[in-house]
Amino acid sequence: MDTLPVTEVDTDRISWLTWLAAARAWLFLGILFVAFEVWAQLVYRTTFLFNPFNVQSIAVFAVAPLLLALGQTLVIISGGIDLSVGFTMGFAAVVFAHCVNGTLDALGVFGSLLVGIIVALVASIVPGLINGLLIARLKVPPFIGTLGMYGVARGIAFLLAGGTTVPVRNSILAGLGNGSLFGFPIIVLVTIIIVAVMHFVLLQSRYGQHVYAIGGSRQASLRAGINVERNTIVLYVLSAVCAAIGGILYTARFSAGAAQAGEPLLLDSIAAVVIGGASLFGGSGTIIGTVIGALIIAVIQYGLVFVNVEPFWQFVAVGVVIVISVLVDQSQKRLGGGKVDEE
Amino acid sequence: MKKCLRPALLILTLCALVTPCWTRAADKKYTVALIPGLTTDAFYITMHRGAQAAADALGVELIFQGAPEFNPVQQVPVLNAIIGRKPDAILIAPTDKTQLIEPLKKAAAAGIAVITVDTFIGDGHYQTGSGDADFPLSYIASDNILGGQIAARALAKAIDDKGKVYVSNVKPGISTTDQREQGFKEEMKKHSNITVLETQFNDDDANKAASQLQSVYARNPDLAGVFGANLFSAVGAAAGVKQANATGKIKVAAFDAPKSIVDQIKSGEIEMTIAQHPAEIGYYGIMTAYAHLTGQSVPPLIGTGFTVIDKKNADDPAVKKFIYSD
Repeated sequence: MDTLPVTEVDTDRISWLTWLAAARAWLFLGILFVAFEVWAQLVYRTTFLFNPFNVQSIAVFAVAPLLLALGQTLVIISGGIDLSVGFTMGFAAVVFAHCVNGTLDALGVFGSLLVGIIVALVASIVPGLINGLLIARLKVPPFIGTLGMYGVARGIAFLLAGGTTVPVRNSILAGLGNGSLFGFPIIVLVTIIIVAVMHFVLLQSRYGQHVYAIGGSRQASLRAGINVERNTIVLYVLSAVCAAIGGILYTARFSAGAAQAGEPLLLDSIAAVVIGGASLFGGSGTIIGTVIGALIIAVIQYGLVFVNVEPFWQFVAVGVVIVISVLVDQSQKRLGGGKVDEE
Repeated sequence: MKKCLRPALLILTLCALVTPCWTRAADKKYTVALIPGLTTDAFYITMHRGAQAAADALGVELIFQGAPEFNPVQQVPVLNAIIGRKPDAILIAPTDKTQLIEPLKKAAAAGIAVITVDTFIGDGHYQTGSGDADFPLSYIASDNILGGQIAARALAKAIDDKGKVYVSNVKPGISTTDQREQGFKEEMKKHSNITVLETQFNDDDANKAASQLQSVYARNPDLAGVFGANLFSAVGAAAGVKQANATGKIKVAAFDAPKSIVDQIKSGEIEMTIAQHPAEIGYYGIMTAYAHLTGQSVPPLIGTGFTVIDKKNADDPAVKKFIYSD
């Protein structure tokens, strides 16, 4: 799970902690499922985990925050952060909705959909590119640069939407957003494909190795001849495109493009990445970890409603999981002699 | 002491000189500011349209400025900037019952007439001589408790007066959505075969509202209806119903009538919506301000109506005019 080489120190305690840290996201997820299952069995005499409807609902629920978190994972591994993803998602959703509506008469149901998807994806490159240029070329700190884009994308999305939501009526689109293929919701299948692509990019491609290198040490990467500038720009473009896919799926699901679609999801996306094992200081993290992180958040929020707990406990639960997750990571690194996130 | 007397006298004389021009300036155009709860909502955009119609008819200059989110932290600076411009009257949808009292007092102290629209401060009873929030002249809004009751009646009818229902709501503490929920629950008590489950709060996130519906349905297969107390609550619940393949089985009642909701009513995803009349609120807001500024007395409370929009009447011109638009 952790790509940093951990110096082997031969004591049982450390190997146990290393194992725990590597598996902690999976462990959390398992514990949650078991806890909710027991709770549902004891109190309501019903099953939680073995009801396919529950599993499917959780998967659908996790799609939007996960798509934002995928690009975010790469950005965070490189030592950056992208605060603009939420409104890039909303911006893409509105652009997509307008394009589908505007070209419906000329191109028909299918054509308008295709044009909408292409235009929304291309449009989302713009905020990503600007983020990348600001950060890589003009040396603006990622937090500030993307905070600026957070405002700009938000404003432009609302301007394009006229301040309200943009309804879309396209028979195929509603089917894509809510339909199933072989029993799997289509938006979940689309997300799985994107997860696979991102996982491959990060672990199997040279680009992915460069991302880890940049996050590990920017200076060393420069000396090793990695084109840090170009790689960084690509990172933020990828992040924006992932967010745009989230926006398109949102529009398909709710039959309307909303500028504020991604607003509540930004912090969830960062939480998913951190719970999944990435360090905000860069250099570590995986796509699979992020997927588990997003699922953990979804299971907590869905499960607590299922067992009928006062809704505000959801915030507490997610917060506790984040802190424990980082604590386990830190103590393992400290004992194992790896990089500790305090410099 | 004598030293400061002269400048003081000078200022007084200046004031005396200026005041007559000032009073004369009063017969020129009045300026009224409309500060919505948030600028990015079809409800307030429609209210602006109604206010503009009245402003045009009366020759009043209308300023429309607000914050992008429904919260006092962002609304108060906008309010202060408007007070700085010294309009003759402010129409405002306060984003908090108590936090907006002090900032609005400043407006009243500056001689600006304050009228609240859609939401209120204090308990919403103005000009009573009691409490520290009775200074606004008038409160113009739909009665949201009544709106919740209407929603409950319409939903009860749609589900044949039996089964489980719940309220999908934004978050606690907003006067209007709290009242809708209250009205809904009060009315449902009269329907003995209907059980109201615990309210689910979604933070205005459609994705969360959808997941909550699926979760509640997973444990309550006899779920018959949901009342979405605002736009995203209803849109999310409708998506959850669709995902659960329960369209038609679980009926969704919405509140407010932007175009997207009406589209979903036509496609059958949402059963009905309780449309407020925001244009009416804006129109009477300006009229009330104008009446006050020209020396007429105004009522402390003006209630505007509701229209239930469903599949059958959505295309009726008499109903169509209540769909929100800019």
